[in-house]
Amino acid sequence: MALDKRFIGREYGPFVYTIGAEKLREFTLAIGGAVPGAGTPGEPLPHVSPLLHDAQAAKAGPYGDVIAFPSFAVVFAIRPFSAALSDPEMGIDIQRVVHGEQELEFLDVMRPGDVMTSTGRIADIYEKARMGFVVVTTESRNQHGKVVVTGTWTGVVRG
Amino acid sequence: MPRTFQTGDTFTHVRECDRYRPIYYAGASGDFNPIHIDPEAAKAVGLGGNILQGLCTLGWAVEAVGVFVGDPGRVRRVRVRFSKPVRPEDTITFQGKVTAIQDGRLTAEISATNQRGEDVLKGAVVEASLE
Repeated sequence: MALDKRFIGREYGPFVYTIGAEKLREFTLAIGGAVPGAGTPGEPLPHVSPLLHDAQAAKAGPYGDVIAFPSFAVVFAIRPFSAALSDPEMGIDIQRVVHGEQELEFLDVMRPGDVMTSTGRIADIYEKARMGFVVVTTESRNQHGKVVVTGTWTGVVRG
Repeated sequence: MPRTFQTGDTFTHVRECDRYRPIYYAGASGDFNPIHIDPEAAKAVGLGGNILQGLCTLGWAVEAVGVFVGDPGRVRRVRVRFSKPVRPEDTITFQGKVTAIQDGRLTAEISATNQRGEDVLKGAVVEASLE
């Protein structure tokens, strides 16, 4: 898959996302092994921390409210990465893309109601073993302007 | 009683990718790429069947460390390379080892293997704050 290096440096965003309480719960429970049904995201397996889904326990805990599962951040922080991969000028068939590598840094916890603004840029494009690699770096700030999540996303375009 | 952590500590976390987990994770995360939810579409691009979103596997590695330190909000960093797809009906065993504790931060190396002993992650590292 021939990719054009001239797209290195292209920027995507800002994309704004408001964190909803039920969305947090859905994500926590999907990671946590729950089986959703109509009208319910299901019940967490015993290992799932109550800080992630039990409002009463979370209020008495260190954060004073339910917090997001850390990698919930991918729900919004992926947006600049997916925008890059689906950029018509890049000419990538999304079904040929697999996720190669991922790095995330969590600088603070996230709570329901937080408003996250994500931006990203194509940091690198290269070929290896006849496959194309697209590396996008992202930064997500909360409503107070604090950087809460940074990401480095590597997509692999299979030949 | 707060527990103490030491370099060399180990922990294990086992997760099953049940048949519809890629669909549940798609609903929760928004990643509806057909390769994750449609076995036929995934076969058509040479994957042999639908595969779990790598970011779900990453989530499980994060979860392993969150459980180990007793608070998911303490996880500060994760880095993984996805070396082999996880498929419906796979069972993934995460084995962690604390490689460093410095400045109130714990670093753990994580291996993630399927029921055939194949690594589905390479070079996985998760860091958590202890303060």
